[in-house]
Amino acid sequence: MTAKAPLLNPLTLKQWQRFKSIRRGYWSAVALGAALLLSAGAELLVNSRALIVSYQGEWYFPTYADYIPGRTFGLDYDYETNYRELKGAFSAGGVGDWVLMPPVPYDAFENDLKSGVYPPYPPSVADRHYLGTDSTGRDMVARLVYGFRLAFAFAAILLGCNFVIGIAVGCAMGFWGGAFDLLFQRLIEILNNVPFLYVIMIVASVIVPGFWTLMGVMVFFGWTAMTWYMRTSTYKEKSREYVLAARALGASSKRMVASHIIPNTISVIVTFIPFSIASGIAALTAIDYLGFGLPPPTPSWGELLRQGTQHLESPWIVTSVVVAMGLVLLMVTYVGEAVREAFDPKKFTYYE
Amino acid sequence: MTSYFIRRFMLIVPTFIGVTILVFAVTRLVPGGPIERMLQEAAMAGADVGAATTSFGGGASALSDEQIDELKAYYGFDKPVVLGYLEWLSKVVQLDLGTSTRYSEPVWDTIKDRFPISIFYGITTLILTYGVCIPLGIVKAIRHKTTFDNLTSAVVFFGYAIPGYVVAIALLTAFAGNLGWFPLSGFVSDDFDDLGTLEKIWDVTHHAVLPLMAYTAGSFAVTTMLMKNSLMDNLAAEYVRTAIAKGMAFRQAVFMHAFRNSLIPIATSFGSNITLILTGSFLIEQIFNIDGFGLLGWESLVERDYPVVMGILVISSLLFMIGNILSDICVALVDPRVKFGSGETSQ
Repeated sequence: MTAKAPLLNPLTLKQWQRFKSIRRGYWSAVALGAALLLSAGAELLVNSRALIVSYQGEWYFPTYADYIPGRTFGLDYDYETNYRELKGAFSAGGVGDWVLMPPVPYDAFENDLKSGVYPPYPPSVADRHYLGTDSTGRDMVARLVYGFRLAFAFAAILLGCNFVIGIAVGCAMGFWGGAFDLLFQRLIEILNNVPFLYVIMIVASVIVPGFWTLMGVMVFFGWTAMTWYMRTSTYKEKSREYVLAARALGASSKRMVASHIIPNTISVIVTFIPFSIASGIAALTAIDYLGFGLPPPTPSWGELLRQGTQHLESPWIVTSVVVAMGLVLLMVTYVGEAVREAFDPKKFTYYE
Repeated sequence: MTSYFIRRFMLIVPTFIGVTILVFAVTRLVPGGPIERMLQEAAMAGADVGAATTSFGGGASALSDEQIDELKAYYGFDKPVVLGYLEWLSKVVQLDLGTSTRYSEPVWDTIKDRFPISIFYGITTLILTYGVCIPLGIVKAIRHKTTFDNLTSAVVFFGYAIPGYVVAIALLTAFAGNLGWFPLSGFVSDDFDDLGTLEKIWDVTHHAVLPLMAYTAGSFAVTTMLMKNSLMDNLAAEYVRTAIAKGMAFRQAVFMHAFRNSLIPIATSFGSNITLILTGSFLIEQIFNIDGFGLLGWESLVERDYPVVMGILVISSLLFMIGNILSDICVALVDPRVKFGSGETSQ
């Protein structure tokens, strides 16, 4: 037996080089990765809880802990400390106690209402509502950041489920062919023809769909796209010589599919990832926009878009969401385009 | 080839039954159907009598149990799913889509009224899309990697990445909500019937600008890039190289040879566009409150008007399937090399 193949074979390395050389896609990937990392730690950046509280010589780190009642800091209540007020109280007190707040000192659920004025409030640096608030006084930045995190997680899990089912069924269809293939072809055609928004709306009118219900319905209708591509490429690969050789050497069906066919269809799989993420985000936002998605008060871009169209006189709501969504989807698409080019470079002929 | 298409047409039947039975089952198995909705409305109308404690379906509601059963029988909700479906299907085969529970008129009449609006938007979108995308794609292919190409690529990419409904919301907020250049919603103004012919045309146009832009944004990017890429593939092909090598003018080589062949992929997308023409977009019609096919679907879902939901499903799924076959026929017509049917298992 020879040594195991290196993790990155020369072809993969070459594809990676090509991907890196497409600057737009590469930097989009870097920026997206950074945005994801930052949003994973969003509690440290956008939160109503303080990062550090120094009170009577002791340091507190409330971000990820249980809530700290106000009495701990010498306030007169037992519910969770309001750190923004605490900060004001400490700096007025001048005893050397201090509070370090995150850059955006609001979380996605609290209604920061002012007396006498009705929300939505316009953007204001003084209030630290950098993009304003929504129609119930919740901070736009917080809603956007937490909404992004949730939408991306949703799209990623959706992609995972769709790919597992899609690759398994697609390979089986291509590999076995025959009646199995025909049966699933019809099934896919049926699922493709059902407008899945209808089903989601019918279901949502009865039960308020949670994260997983929504995921279930979307996977139920979503796995077909991947399946179709996998079926075609399995068909192609199956009739190639190397698979015939493996079969002649006595490889089992499982081995032929798992270690010969799937690795050779990897470019189809990888190319699909960014576009699936983009369409996952777009679909979730559409359902939320229609009001049949995640239950309130879950932060979501679709729900913000809905608020924005109901409050046209407050253009910062729609503007923030459209710009955020535009940037994210544009970057995801740039990455997708670069990945596609890295895996399947096309050379064109020019005339002068 | 003919037998292939005949087989395709025959396969519509099982798929159609599968699609309708799935949605039919969902509408039946989910509680809170049209009858409950009616009772709810009746109860709300009668709430001023002081019947706040009335529970739906109970003996104290606005209707007696027998009346409810009668209603259920009238709309066919009293049967088990399979029987109900078979009855519904046998009516559909006789071109009877049933009665709307909301409007109490035949479903077909309700749907028919919405067609002109959707067709208007569909055809205009189609003309705009092809009218802009084909020339733009050609110029972009010929001037590949020039400033013009890069600039338009940015726009095209933006249109590709952003879904149509987000474009619609952005346009609505900016140009209708804040600048007030265009009306907020609807297909025509309320006083449309009192206007003169010229004013009528202006009114429709004025209302149509934003929705059309949103509709076009959806298919614009894909079609342009398809046109550009396929023309570039053809420009790189041997036969164009040969034509240029033997001294044919570049312009002539592009239009006489490469262009005609690069229209083939465009033909593929034609069939699915036909569906779009007739069914419109759920989201865009909802955003602009255009009284078309899509909005009807939305309203009847919200109002649990399941006969209309099923009627729309029948029409849209039939159109979709026929559209797919039509686009394959289109491809076979424009490209005689394409042979369907013989090599399906080795694709």
